[in-house]
Amino acid sequence: MSNLAKALKAIRKSIWVYHLNSGSCNACDIEVLDALTPYFDVERFGVKLVGSPRHADVILLTGPITRESLPKVVRAIRAMPRPRLILALGSCGVGGGIWWDSYSTTGGFKKLEDILRENGVEIDRVVYVPGCPVRPEAIIYGILLLLGAVEQKSKRVEVYASES
Amino acid sequence: MVKLSIAKILQIALKAGRVTRKYPSEQPLLTPEFRGAIRIDPTKCWGCGACVRVCPPNALTLTPKDKVATLEYFVGRCIFCGMCAEVCPANAITVTKEFELSSTSIEDLKSGVVHRLVRCSSCGELIWTEAELRATVKSSPISEEYITLCPKCRKLKFGKAAMLGRGGSSE
Amino acid sequence: MSKTFDDIVKQLVDMGGVVEELKASEVYVRVPRDRLRNFARFLYESGAYFKTCVGVDERQLNNMFAVYYIFGLDELGKDVVLRALAPEDDAWVDSITSEVPAADWCELEFRDLVGIEPRNRLVRRLVLPEDWPDGVYPLRKEFKYDMRPPVGAFREELAEETGIPVGPYHPALHEPEYFELYVEGEKIVDVAYRGFHVHRGIEKLAESPRFTYKQVPFLAERICGICGFVHSTCYLMALEKAAGIEVPERAEFIRSIVLEVERLHSHLLWLGVAAHLLGYDAGFMHAWRIRERVMVLAEYLTGSRKTYGINIIGGVRKDIDLDKIDKTMRTMASLKEEFSKLTEVMLSVPQVKSRASGTGILSKSEARALSVVGPVARASGLYRDIRKDYPYLAYKRVSFKVPLYTEGDNLARLLVRVDEVYESIEIIKQLIDALPGGSISVEEYEIPVGRKAVAAIEAPRGEDVHFIITGVGRPYRWRVRAPTYQNIPALRAMLRGTPLADAPLTIASIDPCFSCTDRVVVYDMRSGRRSSIRITRGG
Repeated sequence: MSNLAKALKAIRKSIWVYHLNSGSCNACDIEVLDALTPYFDVERFGVKLVGSPRHADVILLTGPITRESLPKVVRAIRAMPRPRLILALGSCGVGGGIWWDSYSTTGGFKKLEDILRENGVEIDRVVYVPGCPVRPEAIIYGILLLLGAVEQKSKRVEVYASES
Repeated sequence: MVKLSIAKILQIALKAGRVTRKYPSEQPLLTPEFRGAIRIDPTKCWGCGACVRVCPPNALTLTPKDKVATLEYFVGRCIFCGMCAEVCPANAITVTKEFELSSTSIEDLKSGVVHRLVRCSSCGELIWTEAELRATVKSSPISEEYITLCPKCRKLKFGKAAMLGRGGSSE
Repeated sequence: MSKTFDDIVKQLVDMGGVVEELKASEVYVRVPRDRLRNFARFLYESGAYFKTCVGVDERQLNNMFAVYYIFGLDELGKDVVLRALAPEDDAWVDSITSEVPAADWCELEFRDLVGIEPRNRLVRRLVLPEDWPDGVYPLRKEFKYDMRPPVGAFREELAEETGIPVGPYHPALHEPEYFELYVEGEKIVDVAYRGFHVHRGIEKLAESPRFTYKQVPFLAERICGICGFVHSTCYLMALEKAAGIEVPERAEFIRSIVLEVERLHSHLLWLGVAAHLLGYDAGFMHAWRIRERVMVLAEYLTGSRKTYGINIIGGVRKDIDLDKIDKTMRTMASLKEEFSKLTEVMLSVPQVKSRASGTGILSKSEARALSVVGPVARASGLYRDIRKDYPYLAYKRVSFKVPLYTEGDNLARLLVRVDEVYESIEIIKQLIDALPGGSISVEEYEIPVGRKAVAAIEAPRGEDVHFIITGVGRPYRWRVRAPTYQNIPALRAMLRGTPLADAPLTIASIDPCFSCTDRVVVYDMRSGRRSSIRITRGG
């Protein structure tokens, strides 16, 4: 069993998450909070919000990673213990969102990952959770996917426009 | 005083009962109006690019490459506004209720419809997609010899024909 | 106020201003750039509130930079816009902050983004990151919207700091807010703010070739995830005003209904967070449970839980049918019942009352000087509500009260929001009852180039102002002033002299769009020691 699989098994019933806002519009952030409240109650899965990345098993990354926040995002992720599991939330976190090419954003997690690698910070597993904003259910689904409890539905498909 | 408020809040809690949806074993809290990911029907899509022009975050892109043009939908950047479905002239785009889109790889969030391109029979320039050509022929019958021409060659040909005084046909 | 609008305009002309454009709702006056402060003083003394200032690169039009200072005459429901021009090689204007302290931030903003220097005041970098190259101004027309200066400096800094446990930013990063509190023992003596982590270049994007008039509402909606609909509506109101597009009545009603639904969810969210900050988690959970009904209703009305996406130029995309009316009315009835029970309990908890009352006081005079908006103004005894002062959309057709408290403390701000929830429920019921028939959007419209307009909306947090100059295919310049922008400077006045323990609640009391956790760095003035405290939201 690999280290990652072991770690995933260990946190299975108590996942501590740290919410990292990298310049998001707030919609995803309040949906993250919403997931904690009675209707969705992620504590059913042992998910608990913690106040420091040093305590966190998973980072919930929202926002397009603005230039101002970039150094702080890198620092927060660096502070996280291995394995570093990240949930990139919302269309901003996944692909940079509506401002993916603006002068003051980095443009999505892919670019951040490159910057992190250049700085010697390795990420062990990422789950991309699209949505604008992400529904609380989508966040739950993303966490379950991270743990391997549900099957991934999205798959790359490329089809030819057919005649008919 | 404090005890009183505890009793009161208990009352509220008892009245509300259990509201938690046991998602994923129970149905999510969706309403019939919810807009989720879009689906592009490859049998209907023309590849005209109307959706690409209206998409605010550029989640839809149409990139020509060699003999094909790919209409790519990147759900990871989609803002789920549904404008593409509204402008689509072929009604090829439907807004689904799909929100369980999570993925461990960014490539899995992309999907594409590949369109074969047609070249101008006169000058050889790429003009439009096969599907759009078919749709145009269907909606407005154009003379066979004009249909595979690019706008420039068509104008030229029509001009010549008109000068020869033979109406729409040059031969 | 005894002066009429004509008097004010006449006096501005006597002082040397030139009326450029006179509309029913606003007047544009060109003033000499070295005497701006005299005009500002006159307007402020005439009872005008300061709305915002805008720097515009107009070199393509007249080879000049322009600065617009927007003042609102609340009692007359009209706007006065002062316009000063500055040539490119000598770009400066007279600062008005000595007369109007509220102009502090926006002057720094046009200095950062357009490169116009406000004179006779202290300047510092506000909006752009510290490592942004000097002399690069994003809102100048020659700057390409997707140009990203290299971020080399930050890597070096990281390398130096490897292994140092906590920097000033500690894992902090959440939202725009980052405060430094200077304390003596337990008492706060001063506050410094470093924000704009969320600067995403929205105003530049809107004038970039990537966007068209039609797409900007979706961009505007994403300025804020909590009150996004306010921004898209306000952008469209400004645009429709500039272009003279008549919006069908039914669309106006639908927009108003959705605006009020948004206010409900925002206030319930805030009440939950306030309860949490007071250590009353039961209140937090119940407030959010009740709020969830509003979220479901919003999704049913618009198709999305947030960032509704139903606003288009000249109307809305989604109609309200009988099923939706029925669902709205039922939700409102149950909401009112549950909310009144919950607030009754919440306000009877002695700790809530004792911690909220008498803390974070903002006096009426300070509130006036800083032109604060929304619930913060109304809790300090300023009667300001855009829905009453500048009736827009369907608000002229409904009757409602504007809650007013004079204490100016955290409890007053809490009570204002509680009262507003009831008012919103009533407004929604009235709007649904009076919902007229007809179409929900206009088919055809035309947007002329070079028109200007100011629009304002009462957002859950206060007055939201949008200013637009129309261009070809997309706005030439679009300026957004969110309510929190105007309220954050007031925190300095609120926090000074209060104990440290009250800081989290006081900061949250202006409802500054915080997200989950925010950290505050505390400097002890005596020992010079630095530590950080946490303001959590849920968890």
